[in-house]
Amino acid sequence: MKGHFLFFALFTGLCAMLHAQNKQLLYDFGEIPQSLSVNPGTQIDFQWFSGIPALSGISFNAGSSGITVNDIFADDGLDINDKIRDRAINGMNIRDELSGTYQVELLSIGFRGKDRDNFYSFGIYNEGDAIGYWPRDYAILTFEGNASRLGQQFDLSHLKIRGEMLNVFHFGINRRMGKELTLGARGKLYSSIFDFNSTQNKGAFVTNPGQNNILASTLDADMRFRTSGLNELENAEDEGSLGKTLLQRGFFGGNLGIGLDLGFSYNLDRQTVITGSLLDLGFIYHSNDVKTYTLKGNATIEGVEIILPDALADPNSDFWQELVDEIEELIPFEDDTRGYVAFRPTKLYASIRRDFGQQLETRGICDCDEVVSAGNRMRARYTNSLGGQLYIINRPRGPQTALTAFYTRRFGNLLAAKATYTVDKFSFTNVGLGVSLQAGPVNMYAMADNLLAYSNVANAHYASFQLGLNIISWGR
Amino acid sequence: MKKPFTSGIFWGILFLLLHSCSEPQDFDQYDDLDIVPAFEASIFYLESPEDLINSLGDADFFSRDFNFDAFSENVFADRVIEGTLTYEVENTTSKPLEITIEFLDEANNVLDTETFSIDPGPTALLQREVAYGNSGRSIEIIRNTSGIRLRGSNLGDSTSTSTLPEPMVKLRSSGEFRVRIK
Repeated sequence: MKGHFLFFALFTGLCAMLHAQNKQLLYDFGEIPQSLSVNPGTQIDFQWFSGIPALSGISFNAGSSGITVNDIFADDGLDINDKIRDRAINGMNIRDELSGTYQVELLSIGFRGKDRDNFYSFGIYNEGDAIGYWPRDYAILTFEGNASRLGQQFDLSHLKIRGEMLNVFHFGINRRMGKELTLGARGKLYSSIFDFNSTQNKGAFVTNPGQNNILASTLDADMRFRTSGLNELENAEDEGSLGKTLLQRGFFGGNLGIGLDLGFSYNLDRQTVITGSLLDLGFIYHSNDVKTYTLKGNATIEGVEIILPDALADPNSDFWQELVDEIEELIPFEDDTRGYVAFRPTKLYASIRRDFGQQLETRGICDCDEVVSAGNRMRARYTNSLGGQLYIINRPRGPQTALTAFYTRRFGNLLAAKATYTVDKFSFTNVGLGVSLQAGPVNMYAMADNLLAYSNVANAHYASFQLGLNIISWGR
Repeated sequence: MKKPFTSGIFWGILFLLLHSCSEPQDFDQYDDLDIVPAFEASIFYLESPEDLINSLGDADFFSRDFNFDAFSENVFADRVIEGTLTYEVENTTSKPLEITIEFLDEANNVLDTETFSIDPGPTALLQREVAYGNSGRSIEIIRNTSGIRLRGSNLGDSTSTSTLPEPMVKLRSSGEFRVRIK
């Protein structure tokens, strides 16, 4: 158990520097093949593309909604104990979170079918995701104890964490349905490497005046911590075969699940487009290397109680052990290996975009007398796009939302740049910038988020970057 | 015009990333972090009715060594730095009583003794606080305690009965301890 704790604490700690999966810069950025990963129904004009293995799509998001590194570790002459008490213990609430995601594409390929309205894509990517909400009452109990807070209920539901690492195998189709509509769908097979979650905890701990003794300590607990894969990884680490085990579990040797991405783009007119996507509508069934720990029951204790004459009945009675046994019977700490289902964090994107400016020269094969060709339904591209995006992700404490305004500028077919301004629970000053450079068949892109925070990175609540390298052909 | 503009954007991003800066951080502050919570809970409770005390005559109405591992568990013993034990004794019997508490180590050596002499009822509640650690007795007493010897003695007669309802003697106790987590 200790090993498990260290393992997931390390993972959570690493991901504590990460944040919430929003890829607002990549979304609806049709110059980049990876935009299909956030909307399988996005408008693309490639003939085929191939990502450079392991380099085609790398993304990290980092953030913390409550405090920053600077809040605690700034060299400001203040006592760190005061800073933690004021800014963390008393300054954060249970909706504050540390969370994040990384993704690394291992394989990414796409090609247009014989029916030129169909574009197929497939690939593999590795993903890690974790979230932990601020466990306020646990923190108070840890930093202050209960002595100065008699009568206060410490809420056990404040513990809410989950995390996982998995490989995702996907195959998708993007189909132009007509002049206006593009639909996309992607099937996913999840191969879980490990998973842990503790999100349904209930109960409280409280110390009140006792009936017999001075104080009565009451624990009413209904807690559960579920894990899969951690035992095997722990053993592999001891045996020096961690890499091999990670690989095995990531390629169908762990737990499997299925999922679906859906998306669309629709031209309201030639220059106005609405889009939407629903990602990771799926689950993983964990049955391999599962360990679930539970603490469930209710007990009130007032110390060792020796009540005469009953206590004289057995001269050999062990009062202390009887108390321990009674507590363990009333609130058993148990573990089992029963399987469980873990739903993936489902995400929803939606956007509206207005294109304007000069029309760009088409890159695809078409008889483009008109910009929107009836033959192969290539859509016109313009030098400018302006719009707004909505992002919602399902999280243990309910959905989280982000709103983004964006402006995209295309410089011929060579370069496109997208600037975003995003408002969410982490920041009201999140300005991001992404560029996609097309050098012949080579596509390179780089994106960074919350750029204003770079003036003092340690004080940033949120930062992210994405980059990738692809080979793209328009078949000309 | 396009190429200079393109280069400008790239160099701009690169400049931003490479020249991002941070106010001075002092991570050595972690060494100054003190996490020393204070926990409080009841320790033990003894209750004996007067008719039992009378029935045992001049003998101790209770005498028992019992195991008590709460203090000697490593998670507590390694981290406790100071604390206070609070006792409350209430006697509503008709006789003077004496209660003795001895803290024992693994080898049954007596580490500390606390004695309460209580007048016959009705008496005021006898309260006593005993500090361990910085300003009190050695905290090693607490750290090494793995058993308790509890003895109750009747210093009066064994025939009288108090007129108070349900006459009995009660010993209550609780402990408040500060433990260093970091």
